[in-house]
Amino acid sequence: MSAVVSKVTKRRSGVLDILRGSPIMGPFLALIAASIFFATQSDKFLTGANLSLIIQQVIVVGALAIGQTLVILTGGIDLSNGMIMALSSVLMTGFAVTSGLNPILAILAGLLVGIIFGVLNGALITSIGLPPFIVTLGTFNIAYALVRIYTTSTITNLPPAQLFLGNTFSIGGTEITYGSVLLLILYAITWYVLRSTPAGRAVYAVGDNPEAARLAGINTKRVLTGVYTVAAITYGIAGLLLVSRTGVGDPQAGQTGNLDSITAVVLGGTSLLGGRGQILGTLIGALIVGVFRNGLQLMGVGSIYQVLITGILVIVAVSIDYLSHRGK
Amino acid sequence: MSQSTGKVLFEMKGIGKTFPGVKALEGVNLTVREGQVHALLGENGAGKSTLIKILSGAYTKDEGQIFLEGKPVEIRNPQDAEAFGISTIYQEFNLARNLTVAENIFLGHLPRKGLSIDWAHVKQRSREILDMLGVTFSVDTPTSSLSVAEQQLVEIAKSLNRKTRLLIMDEPSAVLSEKDLEKLYEVVRSLQARGIGIIYITHRMKEIFLLADEVTVLKDGRYVDTRSIANVTMDELVKLMIGRELKDVYPKRDPAPGDMLLEVKNVSRSKLVHDVSFNLRAGEIVGFAGITGSGRTELVRSIFGADPYSGEMRIAGKPYKPHSPADAIKHGIALVTEDRKAQGLLLKLNVTINTTISGLKQLSRYGVIQLAKELVLVKKFIQELRIKTPGPEFIVVNMSGGNQQKVVLARWLSIGTRIFIMDEPTRGIDIGSKSEIYQIMDDLTKQGVGIIMISSELPEVLGMSDRIMVMREGTIVKELSRAEASEETVMNYAVGSQSGANLAHA
Ligand SMILES: Nc1ncnc2c1ncn2[C@@H]1O[C@H](COP(=O)(O)OP(=O)(O)OP(=O)(O)O)[C@@H](O)[C@H]1O
Ligand SMILES: [Mg+2]
Repeated sequence: MSAVVSKVTKRRSGVLDILRGSPIMGPFLALIAASIFFATQSDKFLTGANLSLIIQQVIVVGALAIGQTLVILTGGIDLSNGMIMALSSVLMTGFAVTSGLNPILAILAGLLVGIIFGVLNGALITSIGLPPFIVTLGTFNIAYALVRIYTTSTITNLPPAQLFLGNTFSIGGTEITYGSVLLLILYAITWYVLRSTPAGRAVYAVGDNPEAARLAGINTKRVLTGVYTVAAITYGIAGLLLVSRTGVGDPQAGQTGNLDSITAVVLGGTSLLGGRGQILGTLIGALIVGVFRNGLQLMGVGSIYQVLITGILVIVAVSIDYLSHRGK
Repeated sequence: MSQSTGKVLFEMKGIGKTFPGVKALEGVNLTVREGQVHALLGENGAGKSTLIKILSGAYTKDEGQIFLEGKPVEIRNPQDAEAFGISTIYQEFNLARNLTVAENIFLGHLPRKGLSIDWAHVKQRSREILDMLGVTFSVDTPTSSLSVAEQQLVEIAKSLNRKTRLLIMDEPSAVLSEKDLEKLYEVVRSLQARGIGIIYITHRMKEIFLLADEVTVLKDGRYVDTRSIANVTMDELVKLMIGRELKDVYPKRDPAPGDMLLEVKNVSRSKLVHDVSFNLRAGEIVGFAGITGSGRTELVRSIFGADPYSGEMRIAGKPYKPHSPADAIKHGIALVTEDRKAQGLLLKLNVTINTTISGLKQLSRYGVIQLAKELVLVKKFIQELRIKTPGPEFIVVNMSGGNQQKVVLARWLSIGTRIFIMDEPTRGIDIGSKSEIYQIMDDLTKQGVGIIMISSELPEVLGMSDRIMVMREGTIVKELSRAEASEETVMNYAVGSQSGANLAHA
């Protein structure tokens, strides 16, 4: 009764095979390659100040992309995230500045409104069974309208407590914001939860096959509602990061947040079909976008070409994902 | 007497194939002659499906050569295979469910007449092929309304519409119930008589002696031997295949029914299940026999809380009203679903996640999965059930069918179940592993577990059940004790034939 386990062979491990081995290997190599390329093109690229700038530039999308990753892992998509962020950030600053609410309470109130939107997304998707694309397109518009109803002008003169995350501390001469530390902590928590908790496993299971997950004893509706709600918390935090970075409450913010975050998720190797992907890949994906934008800027390439190149990157990333999983 | 002398059609020599981390085939030979049924035999994961996928162009080989009537050929894709006259019937059908039978038969090959499609020809030719197969349903029937057996016949018809010289069938009988088997055998024999070569994969050993002329055995991806059926016995084949002798497939049951576990009273479910009552005691195996569509699967899904129902149920005397599978699992019920791909497995996830997904609570402390403990558990089941995989991290979609089934079993075995419902538990499982699973079932009942087993394989129902419920058209038509039951009585009640009625009066 000896265990019959196939001989493991080391032969024929082409590039695609390595990608298959670890889903974030590809994105990681792409990030390294892009960084090396830009370092050869501009001496400024690898300076501490510039790297810190790149982090600052990706911090908001990086936070939005955490929630987006969770949603995409369940096989859904969230188009409302940028607008939930905008609504949270406008309300938290507005409550503090215009209504004179305690700044911390104002932040919590802004987060709470975001969470309500998350619950709404989840409830509509699970109870009526509407497609996530449609539901979140609807809530995108509702949140957008609410932002405009609340204010059309930028909210300024924010209390220091709301700008705290933009403060910096210095390591080896490089200034690092508390916001970027918070972002890394959020990624670490999400990584741990996805890897090591029953809830994390349930997210993957529901994304892979909802019916099989249900028959394995998973409450799929609760998982989905939970995911959209937790995602909304990360959008609210993205709002706080945005406020601390720009120093204002901006009613124009967040309009491309959905596409930018989906880009980061896809570049990070997470499959849009659900069930397959890694949160750390998303962080790498967000950094890839940041590195390209920053590097091209340093090379003097116009911003519209940066968008063009990002578009090409997305298509390449999705093609690699598709090709490496074909033939099953 | 056997057909090992006909003209050689296809020959595969020294075939090798490696997947990342898995050497699936090495030095495999296979020769198929015109008008020959060539059985391909081997344990789960031996490489049978991989070998035929190389012939059908789904995979490309790494090593070896393929000859068509002595001339070397390259099969790079399914189109090449079709051009050489190779048709394949995979276990998962490739029918377009929204199209009619005729449309499916001509899918991708619709003939034109001027600018439009020549529907008259499509229908007429489809009818001819179906008549040849002795099939009576209309060519205008939507495929989705056909039974599995009928869909399989459409697949065969589809291949006959092309100039098929070699027909490959990967476990065609696994999805059929006893009633439909004869029809399949008949069709295979008629194709054979027309000079078509057939590669037939099966885990039902009896079929090999019924149908095949020659048999090739694979083990661990290697070629073992090719034998003429005339010169080999069942025991020899089993030994070639699993490398040891297999004394008794079924354990000797010594049932000692204990306390009442599950009482089902007047359970109905819309049109599918009517007024079903039965009970299950600790230590019992109750078998459910019946033809496809008799409502067995629908009944157990309701017991498992997967579908709504009306009626009453009790577990250990207490009322039991499941609203979801999660409810049922909390009450100690497990369900191995009949369709492992659509309803059992998380195909893109790994062996570990698939094995422990229903038992994470027991493996967690402070809401965190103890990964080391989990790994030990999974490794234990990989060994106990002899699951063939490079490791716990392997993605189950890349495993062989039988090994996938073992992963599903491992999931439920790992969580300490009181009532184990198994819907076709050994579908696609090789004979050696089958007997091990039967042994596990027997052991479970000794620990007080009650088992409800649905099976379309009569020998399995008869071999394992202490009592047999025969279902027909959504209701239990007869309960038989182990002593009363024979293949004939069970079949007669299952199809409700005249002789069945006579027997009932006798
Ligand atoms: N696409 C793939 N990627 C990686 N490994 C694969 C792939 N397809 C098959 N294998 C491996 O090749 C081996 C042979 O699998 P195959 O499906 O040919 O077995 P089989 O003889 O058909 O078994 P069964 O009787 O269970 O259907 C198995 O170890 C399987 O895990
Ligand atoms: Mg197979």
